[in-house]
Amino acid sequence: MTGMKLGQYVYGDSLIHKLDPRTKIICCTLAVISVMASVNLYYLLFLLLLMVAAIIASRLSLAFILKSIWQIKTLLLITLLLQAFLTPGQAVWNIGSISMTREGLIIGSINILRLIILFMGSLILLMTTTPMKLSTGIEYFLRPLGKLNIPVHNFTTIISISFRFLPTLFEEASMIRNAQKSRGSQFDSPQLMVKIKSYAAVVIPLFEASLSRAADLGEAMDSRCYTSHPNQIRMSSLKMTGRDAAALLLVLVIVLAAVPAGIFLK
Amino acid sequence: MTAGIEVINTTKQYKVFAREKIDALRDVSLSVRKGEYVGLLGMNGSGKSTLARLLNGLLKPTQGKVYVNGMDTADAANLTAIRRLVGMVFQNPDNQLVCPVVEEEIAFGPENLELPLAEIRRRVDWALQICGLEEKRHHAPHLLSGGQKQMAALASVLAMLPEYLVLDEPTSMLDPNSRRMLLGQLDLLNKREGMTIILISHNPEDLLQADRLIVLDRGSIAMEGTPREVYGNQKFKELGLNAPALYQLIGQLESNQFPVPDGIKSIPELVEYICQE
Repeated sequence: MTGMKLGQYVYGDSLIHKLDPRTKIICCTLAVISVMASVNLYYLLFLLLLMVAAIIASRLSLAFILKSIWQIKTLLLITLLLQAFLTPGQAVWNIGSISMTREGLIIGSINILRLIILFMGSLILLMTTTPMKLSTGIEYFLRPLGKLNIPVHNFTTIISISFRFLPTLFEEASMIRNAQKSRGSQFDSPQLMVKIKSYAAVVIPLFEASLSRAADLGEAMDSRCYTSHPNQIRMSSLKMTGRDAAALLLVLVIVLAAVPAGIFLK
Repeated sequence: MTAGIEVINTTKQYKVFAREKIDALRDVSLSVRKGEYVGLLGMNGSGKSTLARLLNGLLKPTQGKVYVNGMDTADAANLTAIRRLVGMVFQNPDNQLVCPVVEEEIAFGPENLELPLAEIRRRVDWALQICGLEEKRHHAPHLLSGGQKQMAALASVLAMLPEYLVLDEPTSMLDPNSRRMLLGQLDLLNKREGMTIILISHNPEDLLQADRLIVLDRGSIAMEGTPREVYGNQKFKELGLNAPALYQLIGQLESNQFPVPDGIKSIPELVEYICQE
């Protein structure tokens, strides 16, 4: 249970690791916009290449990321099938009254490509940024909301704590599952109701354990002088440097290139 | 300002049901001087953890007063200053680590104190080095072993440079090896850095290095004295506790007219003494 988890921070000292979290958040947002705005296949392929380049530059394991993409294959397949069958156009294959269309297959493939690019982008962001930096970066952008009396700081603390405790909760869930199994719980029963009831016997103890965990954690945080005020030191530890400016400029140019690419490459 | 922790006639009640109340601590008074190594011993439900939480103001006494360096823990204005002075390590290493990276975990306390960045970095390096976690600085806490997790918890408290270190059953979830390492570390901190240590445990073997022992029984102090005095006393057995092997041995030697001097704190030391005689 202690292997590498999807989207978990991996220590490294590459250029991408060293970028300011705010730069990475902006770059990711821009990438999302450009992926959403463009329908051009070549441009999307170019973005995919760019993501692969980013992965190599950050020295993350490409094999691990490909494996992660393989994990969402069902989602990708459903996207393709829905698009293929629901888009009107020239039929290639008929099943009863519905038919798979050529146009649908093309749009479906483009959407798969889009999803993969988004997935890779968010993995790069999560795997090269420590959750504490990430949440400080998010806090920076949400700071204006503080003027509306929204406790942004608490919100970002919650994000960073959940990053810390997700693996622990997974471990605990599998422990409870095994404990229930050894008492004869039927997780692989063919009957749906039995299955649901078995899982209820995991969720309830897990919930109870999380509550006591939260109480302990609260005491530990209190003991270390945690206050719910925004922390100036953490905020000032973020520094934009020359490489951040360069990265932002590069991504901005690429995103703006989506417009002419959409016009000329038709 | 007087240095030291003073607990004066403190009672702590918990509400169990709407009207029923139980006393977790009943009229307890004790004081801890700076530089002392105090062991706090008691069975489950004896009020050990309640007492620990009174020392840094996590709990407030129902009656009586708790002073840390002369500051009253019941006064909310003192709490930050008190928690800065009294560091606390808890029982479950998993539930007290806040951050997903060891290095950030250790920086969490100093960051909350809003210290300058260079100072935070210096303290993190120091705490990592003193707890032997330098190689793990970029690891996620859940990838560490239980003993390493507890060391990380200790390091993150040390980074706040507390004057008093309170440890609430830190060894009860550790294997014998990590337990020995942690206890050795505490002894070093006490002797070399002059840190005041208040170690709470239900295992008499954990408290061999303490200068002074306090035994809690059902919410009040049953015994107090040096380990030799406490473990050698018949009353200790009557409380249902077992003296460590070392003190059982010393007891038997002395009842057979073989005097053993004070200051012997481990079995190898005792063996050496017997061989010299």
